[in-house]
Amino acid sequence: MPEPELTPTKSATEGRSGVDSVVPGDIALSDAAGAEIYGEEKGAGHLQAPPGASKLVTLLWMLPGALWLLIFLVAPVIVVLVVSFFTGTITGFKEVFTTSNYSAIFSGSSTYLSTLGTVARNSAIVTAVCLVIGYPVAYFLAVKVKKTQYAFGLFLIALAPFFTSTLIRAEAWIPTMSINGAVNSILKDIGIIHHPLGILLFSNFAVIVALVQLLVLFMVTPIFFQLAALDRSAIEAARDLGASGFRVFMNVTLPLTRGGIMIGCVFVFVLSMGDFATYKLVGGGSVGSIGLNIQNLVSLLNYPQAAAQAAILVVAMAIGVVLLLRFAKLQEQV
Amino acid sequence: MASNDQIAETTAAPESAAQTPAGNGGEEAAHGSGLELRQVTKHFSEVVAVDNVSLHIDNGEYVVLLGPSGCGKTTILRMIGGHEHPTGGDVLLDGKSLVGVPPAKRPTTTVFQHFALFPHRSVLGNVEFGLRMQGIDKQQRRKRAMEMIELVGLSEMRFRKPSELSGGQQQRVALARVLVTQPKLLLLDEPFGDLDRLLQLRMRVELRELQRELGIAFVHVTHNQEEALSMADRIVVMEGGHIQQVGTPAEISQRPSNVFVAAFMGDNNILQGEVAEVSNGRTVVNADVGQVAMATGESSLSVGDQVTVAVRANCVRLTAGDEKRQATNELACTVTATEYLGDTIKVHMRAGEHALLAKLPEDRYTELVGLAGKTATASWNDGDVQLLRA
Repeated sequence: MPEPELTPTKSATEGRSGVDSVVPGDIALSDAAGAEIYGEEKGAGHLQAPPGASKLVTLLWMLPGALWLLIFLVAPVIVVLVVSFFTGTITGFKEVFTTSNYSAIFSGSSTYLSTLGTVARNSAIVTAVCLVIGYPVAYFLAVKVKKTQYAFGLFLIALAPFFTSTLIRAEAWIPTMSINGAVNSILKDIGIIHHPLGILLFSNFAVIVALVQLLVLFMVTPIFFQLAALDRSAIEAARDLGASGFRVFMNVTLPLTRGGIMIGCVFVFVLSMGDFATYKLVGGGSVGSIGLNIQNLVSLLNYPQAAAQAAILVVAMAIGVVLLLRFAKLQEQV
Repeated sequence: MASNDQIAETTAAPESAAQTPAGNGGEEAAHGSGLELRQVTKHFSEVVAVDNVSLHIDNGEYVVLLGPSGCGKTTILRMIGGHEHPTGGDVLLDGKSLVGVPPAKRPTTTVFQHFALFPHRSVLGNVEFGLRMQGIDKQQRRKRAMEMIELVGLSEMRFRKPSELSGGQQQRVALARVLVTQPKLLLLDEPFGDLDRLLQLRMRVELRELQRELGIAFVHVTHNQEEALSMADRIVVMEGGHIQQVGTPAEISQRPSNVFVAAFMGDNNILQGEVAEVSNGRTVVNADVGQVAMATGESSLSVGDQVTVAVRANCVRLTAGDEKRQATNELACTVTATEYLGDTIKVHMRAGEHALLAKLPEDRYTELVGLAGKTATASWNDGDVQLLRA
C-alpha cells in the first residue's frame, strides 16, 4: 500500500494532554503543518470577528433590526417611563414631575399588587400546564411521526386556531363554556353532572383554561423545532449504553431540548402576564388583570397612572423571565 | 492472565485463516461462541437492505464490513447492536439469540459514525454515562471513568464539553465511553470518517493495538478499502445487501472472487472473453484485448464459455517497444499517463479500446515517465490471471 510509514506512538495511552497529545511525537511534522492539520480546536480563532471591512458589513446587517427595535420598542418604553412620572389631569397629563403614580400603586388601598400576584400565579400555572401538555404534543409530532411531511402537516393543523384572531377565539369560549353552553349540555346529557358547572366561565379557572388553549402552541412550536433538529444518534448512543426509554428521555432528550422549553416558557409566561382580552371576555370582570387595569385607565385618560402600572408590569415580567432562566441554569448538569 | 492467550490467538488468526480459506457464510464454525448471523434479512418497506446474510465472527476477531454506501453494511451493524430488527433470520451471541433484545440489554456497544457524544455533558459525564445506567455507585463509576479517560489521554480535559474538543479527541471520548462498559463486542460505524488522513492512519494502528489488548471482537464498518485491508483479520465485502466475498485482506486483495470485488478493490485489469482452449491446467481465453492464458488447475470451463478474468495491476510487467515475444498474456499498448505514488508508479495504458493499468516499482521512475505517449508491451504470468464469477 502506498502509505507513509508511521511509527505508532503511545501518546494516546500515555496520558499526554492538550492539542499536543494528538500530534505524535515521532512523526516529523513541522510546527506549521501540525498547526494546520490539528488546528481544529474550537474557539481557536475561527469565530473571531473579521477585521476591517467585514466588521462594517456585520454592522450593516444589524442595522435594520436595531433601528426597528429602537423606534418600536426602546422609544415607547422610554416614553412610558417618562409619562409615568408626570402628573395626571382630567384630560391627560401635565409635564410636572411626581412619584404619586407609583405611590398610588404601592399604597394599602390599591388592588394593584394583589392583582399582579394573581396574574403572576395564573401565568406560572398556565406556563406549567402548557409545558406538560405541549411537550408530549411536540414530541409526538417531531419524534413519533416518522415522515417529515406528515409531521409538518399535523403541525399546520395544530396551528389552525391561529388563523383566527385571539379575540374571536376568546369570544368563542362563551357559547362553549357558559351555563347553557355546549360543554355543560354535553356533560349533563351523558350524566356526568346534574347541575351545570358555573366555574367553566367567568372564573379564574376559566381564564386559566382559556389561556392554556390560547397559548399552548407557543410552547409546542419551539420544542417541536428543537426536537426535530435533535441528533437522533445521541439518543441511540444512550440506548446503546444501557439507558431505558425513560432515562434516555430524562438524560438526553430533555436536556437537549432545554432551549426550546425555555423559549416556549418565556413566550407563554410573558403573553399571559400581559393578556387582557381573555381576562375580559372569559373572566367577565370576576378576575382582574393588569392588562385590563391599564386598558381601563387609558379609557379614563389617566395616562400617567396607566404608564406607571405598565412599567411595574414590565419589571414583573422581567423578574419572571430571569427566574425562569435561572431555574433552567440550575438544571444544567455536569 | 487469560487475555494473553487471547492475544496470541488473535495475532495468530491471520495466518491460520489464510491457510484455510474462510468460507462465504462461516457455517463451518457453527460452535456456540462468538457472534453468528443466520440468514439475516432486513427489508425497509419495499427495499431489501440485507438479503439472507450468514456470517460467523469469532471472539477476539477484528472483522471489517466493507462496501459502497447502501450495500447493507451499516444495517448489519445496527442489527447486531439492536438498533434495527431483522425481518428474517437470527442474530446469536455465544449461542443465544439477540433478536428482540433492546440495545440497552445487549453486551454490545457502538461507536457511532459522528461519535454521537452527548453535547450537554462533559468528557467525564459522557464516559460515566454507561456506568451510571448500569447502576454503579458514584465513587466506583467515577474511578473507572477516570481510569478510562486517562487511558485515552484526556485527563486534563475531563471537564470540557465535546464541542471544545478536536475531532481526534472526540473520537477518543467516544471510544472511552463504550469501552468503560466492558462490552463483549464493539461495533464501529465508519469510526474514522470525521478524522483527517494523518490522524486516521495513526488511529488505525492504535485501534488495532487496543483491540489486541482487550481481546474482544470488533466489527468495523467502512467504505474505505485501504482502511479495511490495513486493519482486518477478515474482510466481508458487501454489495446490494449480499456478501460478495469473505476473506483475509490478502485473499480479498489477491484473489477477488467476482467482478464486483475485483472492481471495488481497485487496481485490477478486468478482461472479458470466450474460452478458446482448455488443456491440462491451462485455459486460453480470447479476450477483448488479445489472448489471455491462465493457470486454472482442474477447470470446469469448456470451449465457448464466456468468462471474465482479472489481472492485478502490480502483476503487470512493462517493457518499452511493441516487440511481441509470446502468443498469450502479452499486449501491445500505448502509455497514456503515469502517476507517481511515492513507493509505486501507476502506468495507465490503452490497448485498442481497452484501458489497462500497471503498478511498477519506484526505481523505474525516469524510464516510465519517458514512456508517456509511446508504445510499450504489457505482460504477465499465467498464474496471475484470476477467474471471476460474474
